[in-house]
Amino acid sequence: MDLPSQRARVVEFKPLGLAWFGLSLAVIVYATRQGLFVAPTEATMGNVARILYYHVPTAMLSLIFPYLNFAASLAYLYLRRRDPLKALTADAVAIASAEVTVVYASLCLLTGMLWGKVAWGIWWTWDARLTSMLLLWLLYVSYLMLRKLSATGQVHTLAAVLSVFAAVDVPIVYMSIRWWRTQHPAPVFFGGPDSGLDKSMLPAFTWNLVAWAMWGIFLLGYRYALERRRQAAEQDAALLAIEATLEIAQ
Amino acid sequence: MKFAWLLNGTMEAHHLAAAYIVVWLIQGGYAVWIAWQWIHTRRTTPPLPSTALKQTQDF
Repeated sequence: MDLPSQRARVVEFKPLGLAWFGLSLAVIVYATRQGLFVAPTEATMGNVARILYYHVPTAMLSLIFPYLNFAASLAYLYLRRRDPLKALTADAVAIASAEVTVVYASLCLLTGMLWGKVAWGIWWTWDARLTSMLLLWLLYVSYLMLRKLSATGQVHTLAAVLSVFAAVDVPIVYMSIRWWRTQHPAPVFFGGPDSGLDKSMLPAFTWNLVAWAMWGIFLLGYRYALERRRQAAEQDAALLAIEATLEIAQ
Repeated sequence: MKFAWLLNGTMEAHHLAAAYIVVWLIQGGYAVWIAWQWIHTRRTTPPLPSTALKQTQDF
């Protein structure tokens, strides 16, 4: 048995990762400047509307990363008996994407509340969009808690199954402002003939979307590399235990 | 001054500043947490297990 090839491959933080990190930071700085100082002041909401240059991109991304978690979880369920090493890779992608989802969903909720207090006079309301988004956040927090706190050997499988059900909430969040009358504003993008963003605001919005997407990809890669490192460390520990057992037996 | 509207004492300005700061803190904090975990995840590459039996000869 060739043991080194059986180990989880460790992903080192390579120059590409560092370059992507630096580029992401630069784009974030530029996008923030666009949002805070270059974009015009919104006619009805005033400067508080600049929160939306952070809120909307984080909201959009919090609806994309769950699908990565969903795909990785399905891959894990398919591969766990067929190819355990590839299943480990899928599992690493799953937990990385779940954590990034929680980060972005948290920011969506927090920035939304900060905007809502000024715009509506209330921190929170139980309308369809806010409630379904909170549910999404709770589902992925529960996924992470299951991964962290469960002592069973089936934790990865249980988490993968939970992930499949959690992903069902994503289209509900997206469609909530189309299906129901909500406190949350009507859709700006793909919302119909009267929807859309003023052209003068598009650069700030687009740059912020790109910036936070790049940062999210960086976080995903970084967390994935950490998980692979942890998997390798666990395998090392297991091999050490086997070695010790063999020596005792001899 | 460019920063004047951001630094005035209105709730609008406070919430705008808070929103941006919260995003940076949480995003940066998560990245720092990953870095911390990376440093504290130690690899101990074990030597390959000995596959050759230790043989003793009895004369």
